Amino acid sequence: MAALRSKWSELCRQIQASSAAAVKAGPGAGPWYPPVVASLTAKSKAAQRRRQELFHQLLHEAGSIEKKLQLYEQRQRRKFVVYPQTFALRADRSYQSFTKTAFVPGLPPASRAPVHLDLGALRSLVCDALLQEYFYLRRPFACSPNPPESLHESFLTQLVTILSGQLAARNPLLATSTLDFQPQVNFYWMRGEEVVRHGHRSGRVDPVRFQIDDRPLLQIRVPKQLPKFVPLDHLVAEEIPVINHTPDKLPMFKRQYENKVFIGSKVADPCRYGHTQFHLIPERLKRKKLIQKNLAHHIEVVYRANGIASLFAWTAAQAMYQGFWSEADVTHPFVSQAVVTDGQYFAFFCYQLNTLALTVEADKNNPRKNICWGTDSKPLYEAVEENNIKGFNDEVLLQLIQFLLNRPKGLQTDRLPLASA
Amino acid sequence: MTLVRPGVPQPEDVVQFRVSMQMTRLDIKNYLEKIYNVPVAVVRTRIQFGKNKKRNHKNQKVKCPDYKVAYVQLDQGQTFQFPNLFPEKEQTPEPGSIDDIQNKYLEEERQKYQSDPRRGGVPAWFGL
Repeated sequence: MAALRSKWSELCRQIQASSAAAVKAGPGAGPWYPPVVASLTAKSKAAQRRRQELFHQLLHEAGSIEKKLQLYEQRQRRKFVVYPQTFALRADRSYQSFTKTAFVPGLPPASRAPVHLDLGALRSLVCDALLQEYFYLRRPFACSPNPPESLHESFLTQLVTILSGQLAARNPLLATSTLDFQPQVNFYWMRGEEVVRHGHRSGRVDPVRFQIDDRPLLQIRVPKQLPKFVPLDHLVAEEIPVINHTPDKLPMFKRQYENKVFIGSKVADPCRYGHTQFHLIPERLKRKKLIQKNLAHHIEVVYRANGIASLFAWTAAQAMYQGFWSEADVTHPFVSQAVVTDGQYFAFFCYQLNTLALTVEADKNNPRKNICWGTDSKPLYEAVEENNIKGFNDEVLLQLIQFLLNRPKGLQTDRLPLASA
Repeated sequence: MTLVRPGVPQPEDVVQFRVSMQMTRLDIKNYLEKIYNVPVAVVRTRIQFGKNKKRNHKNQKVKCPDYKVAYVQLDQGQTFQFPNLFPEKEQTPEPGSIDDIQNKYLEEERQKYQSDPRRGGVPAWFGL
C-alpha cells in the first residue's frame, strides 16, 4: 500500500515537473502553457477517467509479472463467484456471455487427425486399470448403486498416468510436462457494467467483477505452448448469447475476498502453458440424479458449462502469466484442452483464447471472440461385470490419446528445456 | 397464486408469482404441472418482508403484509414474457367531433401567440 502511494505521488510529481519544465523551456517559441488536463482529485467523471488512466499506466510500467498481478488483484470489491460445476439451468449460455466465448459443437480439425498407433496394448492397459479399481480391489462400496467419488478419482488418476507414461515416447512434450493432482486454478476479471443499487454509492456505474475458483482433478502443464487451432482474428459463425438480465438471476451470488489469478503454479515455474485438464463431475450433478429430477436434457449443459468456465479461467490465467491483461490484449492465441467426465461418460473440450479485453472500454472496437469446441458426452464402457468390461468404446480412448499427443509441430526431444531447469 | 410482472428483468424462461406463505416450492411445481400442464424445471422462492414504517391517523405503526415470491423456471425451452396490459393508443379524434374542433381552436390560438420566426429566437423586448 505504501509502495503504491509513493509510486502515485512520484507520478504526480513527474507530471508537475514536466509541465514546469515545459513552461521554462518556453521563451524562444512564444507563450507556452501547461497541458490542459482534468484534475486528479476532483469529484468529476473526467478526474475519474484520468485516475483510471494513471492506474493503467502503472500496470503497463510494472517491473515484473508478479508486481503486475499484485496491482491487478489489489483492490477488493464484491464480485460474482462463478462455479464451473453448477446446478443452475442454462448456465452455459450465461458463462459464454461472461467470457465472450462462442461455442462450436464438435472438435477442431487439428484434434481429429488420424493417429497410427497400437491401440490394443493401450486398450488392455486401460481395461486393467478399470478392473483393478472397480473389481479386483474388492472395495465394499464398489458394487453399490452410488459409489463415492474417490472410486472414479482413483481410476482417472490411473488412466491419465498410464496413458501419459506410454505416450511420452511419441510426444516429447509429455516427457517434460508436470502432472498436478487437484491444483488450484483461479481467475479474476471484469465484464460489463451495472448501476450500484443500495448504499452510499447508489446510482454510480461500476464494472461487474467475476472470480472463478476451480479445482480440476488432474492437470498437465507443459513448458511450450500448444499450436493454435485457428488464426487470432478468425470469426466463427456461432454467436455469443446476449443476456438482458443481471448475472444474479442465474442464480449467482456476490462475495468479497482475495482476487486471485493462478494457473496451478507460481509465475517462475517453467511449465507455464497448459496442455490438458481432467474434471470429475460431483455426485449431485450426475446423470442419475438429473434424470430423477426430470432434467435429462440438462446433462450436456453441465458438461458444457464446466468446460467453458474452467478452460477460460485456466487459459486466461496463462495469458496473464505472460503479461497480457484487458488493456494489453494477447498478441497470439492461447490454447488449452479439457476432458470432463463422471467416471464413465467422457466429454472433450478445446479452448482458444483470442482476446482478454472484456471490460467495457477495452471491448468497444474488439471484433475478436474466444472459441470453445466441445463434444457431447460418450461412454467409455457400458458396464463392468465381474472380471469383464462390456461395450468398451474405442473412439473415446482414441480421442483421449489424440488429446494427449497434441504438441507443437517440429518438436525434437533433445531441444526441449528440462522441467527442472 | 398470482402471476406478477417482475420488477427487474428476469431470464426469458422465468415466470414470477406471488403465492401463499404456506406453499413450498414442491407444492408450486406440482400445482402448475398437474392443474395447468405447465412443464416446470425448477422453482426458487423467497419471502418478502412487508415494512412496518407507515403510520395511520392515530400515529400507530401500520404493517404491510409479508408475502412469498416464487420464481418458476420453465422446462422444454419454453419462454414467457409478461404482456403489456395497458398499451398506449394513438389518439386521433374523428373529424367533426367536439374534441377535434377544440384541438383545432387551441392550435389556432397557439399560432397567434408565437413569436416572429424572422427574429431568430431573439426576445421581443430587445431592440437595437
